Amino acid sequence: MNTELNITRTFDAPRELVFRCLVEPAHLTHFWGPIGVSTPQGEITVDARPGGAFRTVMVNDADGSRYPTSATYTEVTEPERLVWTEDGSGMTVTATFTDLGDGRTEVHIRQTDVPEPMMAPEAQAGFRTSLDRFADHLARLVATGR
Amino acid sequence: MADDQLDATFAALADPTRRAIVARLAEGDATVNELAEPFALSLPAISKHLKVLERCGLITRTRHAQFRPCHLERTALDAAVGWIEESRRVWTERFDKLDQHLTQVRTEQDDS
Repeated sequence: MNTELNITRTFDAPRELVFRCLVEPAHLTHFWGPIGVSTPQGEITVDARPGGAFRTVMVNDADGSRYPTSATYTEVTEPERLVWTEDGSGMTVTATFTDLGDGRTEVHIRQTDVPEPMMAPEAQAGFRTSLDRFADHLARLVATGR
Repeated sequence: MADDQLDATFAALADPTRRAIVARLAEGDATVNELAEPFALSLPAISKHLKVLERCGLITRTRHAQFRPCHLERTALDAAVGWIEESRRVWTERFDKLDQHLTQVRTEQDDS
């Protein structure tokens, strides 16, 4: 069974710049929050070295709700790889930066230590997996004895 | 759903027998005896699994009925499944914004 969540995106920018975007608060503030959520630069802590802290506070634009996050870097290899582990959940995120040789950079995000049942292919597909599909998948797992 | 409860839910679902129980309950309520049937497990062993599922809120048991049928709390399961989808959505939107930001940064570099 697939036990990871993987997301890949290609950016039209050199690898050094893309890497810096992930470790400099002045860049992170522009994109770290998803749609409708801001991440004020002053509330981003990046100590990009193994054992260093990676903390952010995401603020809901609509109602001001605050979502603090806290993680610790376990690997920082500029400009190739960044690994951090969330302090609460233990979930580990590995960001790999690949120079495509034509000025573009591929970023691959891999989330591991996510509990296995949540990683079912059905749970990943389509982003809007219904409970029934998940239940079907569980039933198949049971049927195949996994 | 609080993080602590999500952790407990994930831990509960990490066990194949408990996943099987959840899959069975997705089809409808069932008593402990009905749940034990497909497994080569004793009733006390099944009861132990049910207690774990009950503690994290994935299932509830009727207090008054004689056989106390187990009921799957779909909202709790949805919240757990949603956590992964939420991660993917967050990264997708983050990357969309990063793409725009990089375009902006490179435009400024070209101008200067």
